[in-house]
Amino acid sequence: MNAQPEPGQQNLKHILVYASMNDVQYLAGMLRGINFAARAGVLITKSGMVVTVEDARTLLGTAYIFAEVFDDFKFDETHGTPSQTQQTQDPDVKLEPRPRKEVSFEIPLATLVDCLNIFGTNPAKEVEKKPRFHRLGASAIDEEDQQREGGPHQREQAGRGDQHSRGPNVTGVRITYVGPGHPLEFTMNDPTDGALATVELTTFDPEPALELPFDSDRTVLKIILKSSWLRDALSELDTSSEKLTIIGNPAPPPGRAQRGSAPRLRLKAVGTFGSTEMDYPNDREVLETCECDDVVNFSYSFKHIVKAVKALQISTKTSLRIDEQGLLSMQFLMPEPKTRGGGPGDAFIEFRCLPLEEGFP
Amino acid sequence: MRFRTNVDNVAGFYRIVQALAQLQKKFVMKFTETAMFIVCSSDINEGGMQVWTNIKVSTLFVDYRIQSNANNEIGMTVSTEALLTTLRSACSPNSNNNSILTNTEVIMRLAKKNDRAVLSFEIIGQSRSSRDMRIVQDVRIEMMRQQELDKLREPMCPEPDIHIMLPPLTKLRTVMERLRSQSDIIRVQANKAGRLDFAVSTDSIAIEVCWTGLQAPTFGKRASQAQNQSQSESQGESQEEQEDEASQSAAKERMCGVLVNVKSIMKFLQSHVVCSSTIAGICQRHCLILYVYIGDAADAGGILTFYIPAIMDDDP
Repeated sequence: MNAQPEPGQQNLKHILVYASMNDVQYLAGMLRGINFAARAGVLITKSGMVVTVEDARTLLGTAYIFAEVFDDFKFDETHGTPSQTQQTQDPDVKLEPRPRKEVSFEIPLATLVDCLNIFGTNPAKEVEKKPRFHRLGASAIDEEDQQREGGPHQREQAGRGDQHSRGPNVTGVRITYVGPGHPLEFTMNDPTDGALATVELTTFDPEPALELPFDSDRTVLKIILKSSWLRDALSELDTSSEKLTIIGNPAPPPGRAQRGSAPRLRLKAVGTFGSTEMDYPNDREVLETCECDDVVNFSYSFKHIVKAVKALQISTKTSLRIDEQGLLSMQFLMPEPKTRGGGPGDAFIEFRCLPLEEGFP
Repeated sequence: MRFRTNVDNVAGFYRIVQALAQLQKKFVMKFTETAMFIVCSSDINEGGMQVWTNIKVSTLFVDYRIQSNANNEIGMTVSTEALLTTLRSACSPNSNNNSILTNTEVIMRLAKKNDRAVLSFEIIGQSRSSRDMRIVQDVRIEMMRQQELDKLREPMCPEPDIHIMLPPLTKLRTVMERLRSQSDIIRVQANKAGRLDFAVSTDSIAIEVCWTGLQAPTFGKRASQAQNQSQSESQGESQEEQEDEASQSAAKERMCGVLVNVKSIMKFLQSHVVCSSTIAGICQRHCLILYVYIGDAADAGGILTFYIPAIMDDDP
């Protein structure tokens, strides 16, 4: 018995978006990284899917899931024939029968994240968490590399390991969206017993999204570091802290002894019970890149920054930038999905956060 | 009135009580010459759910002796928690190494202490330093008179429209956990082709989880009907047969469904601790019946029957 009915060719014609991924955990992990608001805005173009959530008009979390990350991704640009658009409530669309370039809507994100794990997180995960020394085929080299660079950070390595070395028994997912006014449909199959789950998510008309444009020409601080370095720092901090200050110092002039100079990056958390400071040394091992010409000092609401912890947990590298206005942009690079060979299509999550008022000069 | 037995399968007894522990604070136990019955039929149960358990004496007990004026039957109400705690101390079901005593022998008897009726559990074994030890735990009970016992009636149900084997309960539990967070009411549907559907739907989400290729056994009247049918068919004409086949396959695909409370299902799923196989019977617009077999389905040492009443909906 065929437990996974494929949509027929005829059906496909009427579908605006069709995507599939052979391991749902990758998608679930990314969405969990920005799962801090009930609703999320989704924008789909032919190059992929962008999911956005905001909090208090201050924090913006965005997951960029490119088409290359999916095993199959189709966006039907010819899908905008007048007969079909008549059903939509948006009057603008009705007047323009020209090809559709993008589609956007809102979904209940928390509900979706919950449902993507309907068959549970994979039981194979428990086993795969331990570092493995024997791998089959060419991927053995890849694993070796991982272990070398993982070095002392066993926890990070474990986190990445399970993304890479899943057995064939992973839950696959297929996403279809017929068009505006229709639900976003997720179909998941469990290969262990052929169970099939269909989740139809109601889509809502998009609300005007918060935009926090980052002025990259006026970047005052740019740091690239391993996600685990930042994650460990944030999880050490007292959760009742109120604000987090990011302080960047320029490189000490060459020739001087490094010892007495100010640290390149300092995180300072202030709360009711006191304050904590953490310094990152000027070491390539720690800060891969650190561009900072003048002293930078901006404060952010701690409860906003700490929301990035989940994204930090699943990502490998973090790029942290601050512009002249104090707008913080953190980009978290996701490990590539198992089936892909990497390249420009690597998915990432971005957090943008406005500084607290007093941070302005 | 006399009752004394050796509890041979303490772990099994413990698991059965564990499966029922979430339902009620007290349940009715009835012992007869051949079987032990446990009944949870209190009105306060979530959505009026009932559980009737029938365990063969040989599944749990050896040296079983019972004597009473009422057909050699004894009925009582017991506190679920007290019984569970006692059985837990009598056996350490998960890790035998951790139990205080080894080589244990457990004797359960009806006794009277300080004018109170009790079920007395005598646990005899050897401690770690291989010294003989004896522990006695008394579970206070209330005896039930014959008239009271007679009042207990198993719910009347029509012949289920369909029977279907359920997938492993632990698996079902993972799925149900997710569905529970979305809605209180769940639709259970099945057809004779072996398809089973669980569905919830709210304003923001609709989820349907389905299994196919499950066994859909036929029982009782239906089974004999089907047999008669096949006999008459073999005598009938070929044309009729074909028509019949077409209508039969349509009947096979037809889904029979019922709406039930998710919390009731979750309580039923607690019985994953005892189960080896489970069959669900769906009486459309009436109830969902779940039969949890202890041991092999063919030679079941006992059966837990869960009756979950349907929630009526105006939808056709």
